[in-house]
Amino acid sequence: MVVIATVYLGLQLKNLSIDADILRSLPEDDPHAALLKQISEKFGGNSMGIIILETDNVYQTEVLEHIRSITDTLGYIEGILSVQSLTNIINIKGSELGIEVGQLVDEYELPTTSEQFEGLRNNVEANEMYKGTIVSEDATSTLIIFTLKDGANVSAVANAVIAKTEAMHLPEKLYYIGSPMLVTYISELMKNDLINLLPIAFLVIAIILLLAFRSASGVLLPLLTAVIAIIWSLGTMSLLGYKMSMISNNIPIILLAVGSAYTIHVLNRINQLKTTDRDEAISKALSYVMVPVILAAITTVIGFVSFIFGAYLDMIVDFGIFTALGTFFACLLSIFFAPALLDIFTSKKRNKELIPNKVRRSFLSEKLLSPLNILLFKHPKYVLLTWSALIALSIVGIFFIQRSVDIQEYFKKGNPTREAERIMIEKFGGVKPVFVLFKGDMQSPEVLKMMIKMGEYMKQSPDIYTTQSVADLIAEINFAITGERKVPDDQAVIEQFWFLLDGNEVMQRFVTEDLDEGIIISKFKSADNDAKKEFARYMDRFIEKNSTKDCRIEITGMPFVDITMDRSLINSQLGSISIAIVFVIIIVGLILRSLYSGLYASIPIVAAIIILFGVMGLTGISLNIATVLVASVALGIGIDYSIHIISHFNDTFQKTGDVRKAIQDAIMISGNAIIINVISVSAGFLVLVFSDMVPLQYFGILIALSMLGSSLGAMTLLPVILILVHSKEK
Amino acid sequence: MKRVQIFFLFVISFVFTINGAIAQDASTLLHNMDNLMSAPKDKQATVKITLTNSSGKVKVREAMMKQKGKDKKLYRYTKPESQAGIATLSLPDNVMWLYLPAIGRPTKISLLSKSQAFTGTDFSYEDMESKPYSERYTPTLLESDKPDMYVLELVPISKKSKYAKIVLTLDKTNFYPLKMDFYNSRGDKFKEATYKYAKQGDYWYAKELLMTDLKKEHSTAIEMTDVKFDQGLPDDEFTVEYLKQ
Repeated sequence: MVVIATVYLGLQLKNLSIDADILRSLPEDDPHAALLKQISEKFGGNSMGIIILETDNVYQTEVLEHIRSITDTLGYIEGILSVQSLTNIINIKGSELGIEVGQLVDEYELPTTSEQFEGLRNNVEANEMYKGTIVSEDATSTLIIFTLKDGANVSAVANAVIAKTEAMHLPEKLYYIGSPMLVTYISELMKNDLINLLPIAFLVIAIILLLAFRSASGVLLPLLTAVIAIIWSLGTMSLLGYKMSMISNNIPIILLAVGSAYTIHVLNRINQLKTTDRDEAISKALSYVMVPVILAAITTVIGFVSFIFGAYLDMIVDFGIFTALGTFFACLLSIFFAPALLDIFTSKKRNKELIPNKVRRSFLSEKLLSPLNILLFKHPKYVLLTWSALIALSIVGIFFIQRSVDIQEYFKKGNPTREAERIMIEKFGGVKPVFVLFKGDMQSPEVLKMMIKMGEYMKQSPDIYTTQSVADLIAEINFAITGERKVPDDQAVIEQFWFLLDGNEVMQRFVTEDLDEGIIISKFKSADNDAKKEFARYMDRFIEKNSTKDCRIEITGMPFVDITMDRSLINSQLGSISIAIVFVIIIVGLILRSLYSGLYASIPIVAAIIILFGVMGLTGISLNIATVLVASVALGIGIDYSIHIISHFNDTFQKTGDVRKAIQDAIMISGNAIIINVISVSAGFLVLVFSDMVPLQYFGILIALSMLGSSLGAMTLLPVILILVHSKEK
Repeated sequence: MKRVQIFFLFVISFVFTINGAIAQDASTLLHNMDNLMSAPKDKQATVKITLTNSSGKVKVREAMMKQKGKDKKLYRYTKPESQAGIATLSLPDNVMWLYLPAIGRPTKISLLSKSQAFTGTDFSYEDMESKPYSERYTPTLLESDKPDMYVLELVPISKKSKYAKIVLTLDKTNFYPLKMDFYNSRGDKFKEATYKYAKQGDYWYAKELLMTDLKKEHSTAIEMTDVKFDQGLPDDEFTVEYLKQ
């Protein structure tokens, strides 16, 4: 049955596709996010790609030739709707006799003389529509902007854009940015991560298991259960029509680390029973280990499920659901499937396996666990003091935690995308789109004048460089015909100007077909959250004063989404952690039949989480959409260590009434499994250090850190507390 | 061996001669088409322009068209309401005047780029040019699989063309165009025009014309009604001053 399910769900994996578009993960109930989605559907803003061409001076015949050939090349790519560049942009300008309608640059007769270039440069700089949007003011960079057809295969287009432009081997530097490029780039990184990291994680965990168990089954069974759990959960994901996001991309590695742990515990118990009868050992071990393993799985599931509440991005919710599901599968498999396999395959050679186990046990016990035991009983107060100091220091650190919602921080330093972003910010006014939506008659002078007024108002903000709207186009035509750069007062004039604009590709970026909605397109410069909030307040003041029934104004854009996302980071963090802690205490308390045990068990993990946040604050690792997951995941996994210690302690204490013996037993036996578990889980997560995405690197490091913290807590802080509590009782 | 070579030489030279003869033929055919198009001394018609976008949305414009000779053309728009009264006057040498009633005076439009679309239609200014095809393109006769049609390949003489070539299908008896396929430099067809010609009196005219931009999935249909020929339209009607009326 396991085989059939695995094959069936494994086949589903083929259909699992990657979706790195963060926009699609924004929740519908956030008005800014909903409006942003709406605008990108209506005006195609989201599917705009940009090539930045960087050189010493754009105004050279050779450079223009290259821009022209890139423009042509892009125009031929299937799925690209329109291309706009210096060599094909429409230009309407006044001349002595009337107006000239044409292109800024005659693509068939490129300028060659310095006078011609001077003229072109003046043209560009005089026009609001070009300045800082097509050519940078220092003339070193120019943009080639393309839009995608509705329903185009984004990654196919993006890859074709890169492949075809790189094949031209131009002397100028090309950078690629804009949502289709970024989304594709992130998908590439995700694929790379999956292909590169999963085998490494596999290998690392295999080596650790080999060292720990020194047997083939000890290596194979945990890995096998983890792999099956991965296939099942991803297969279910595919079956239900979900897509891989940048977060759920980690599910395999997380499940590999978490899922193998349950089988480790089961095998550990089987091995520790020095029975020669394998069947008896298995059933006995299972009866011992079933409760802690299920308990461990439940708490881990709670950690993952806690993301469902309070998470802002849909992809985090999806991640929570499917990792929880995978954890559940792994737990089931470790209890039913792994022992069954062990029973089938190892009955012939049962004696061989027992020998190395004894060797290993004495090694760990003598060098680590015995000294630890002695330390705990000799200096319990010092241990407590050290922990208190660490926690105090960490609490200070918590106040320094920074938050970051910037997608660019996904890329490593020196990555061309980051360089592209730098150029966009320095020379083209930023990368974060801002849209102001106007609902009203797009040919009414009042609405258009309000758009101009709004544009002027926006440009007074330090973070807005340029704005573009249909009102600017109308004012530009009016300037060409009458010499006045303003929106005409007469609606009839505007309607007739429309005759010149009708059908122009640029129009669909600015107004709807029915002319009842139009947008101002702008870009926001700063990545700073306070600057975004300040801008939001600044804009709200204007909108509140000027939005009327005939001209309804709304604003949205990435800065606004960022503000909400930033706020939700804290909410989601606090929400998921408190849910996780409360549920974990309740469940541990219920199963161990003592609320105190639940509370004690949670002390080490709470301490570890405080230290985790402290480290984040002190080292400057920011809270972002990946690291926000760490605390709850750590809580779900880390609590296991305390559960093992405390259940073992309770067990022995109830039997003997001897605190010392109970602690010693717990540390000597459960400590052993904990150490193997911590090392293998941490190593699995540490593989993420090699990820191409920065937040995932930190995610890996931080989880490993929390594992270390919570296991140390479980083996030092928890016993000390138990010792002190029980000595008081006496 | 040698015989074979001689044979090949013969065949090759034969092919070349035939090609030469065909080239001659092709330009005659294109001239014939030009002559058919410019046969009337003047022409007047009601023109209905229907624009259809990729989502099927339709916009309709109507204009009164007057033409004298081959390169004087006047359009006066009557629909839609908001654009009624707008007039364009095309004169020789790519000079175009625009009259917007709301502004009250004609404005000269210099067309710097011929590939630019003509106000919302799928025709570029190049398509609308008054210069005869035979002066703008070098024709070659292609093989036709239909007995009543010629197929010509037109290569633009000017380097400023958006087209790498146009494949023209011509009616064999009357020399009016049936179809034009427009190709870009990649050899991909990106626009196509289909014509329906009708005869009125002595003259053939394009009663219906459908231009489709295959990439944008956008089309422009032009329909001519109330066509009148050789009314002796005066030259005054094709002046800037007359535009205002």
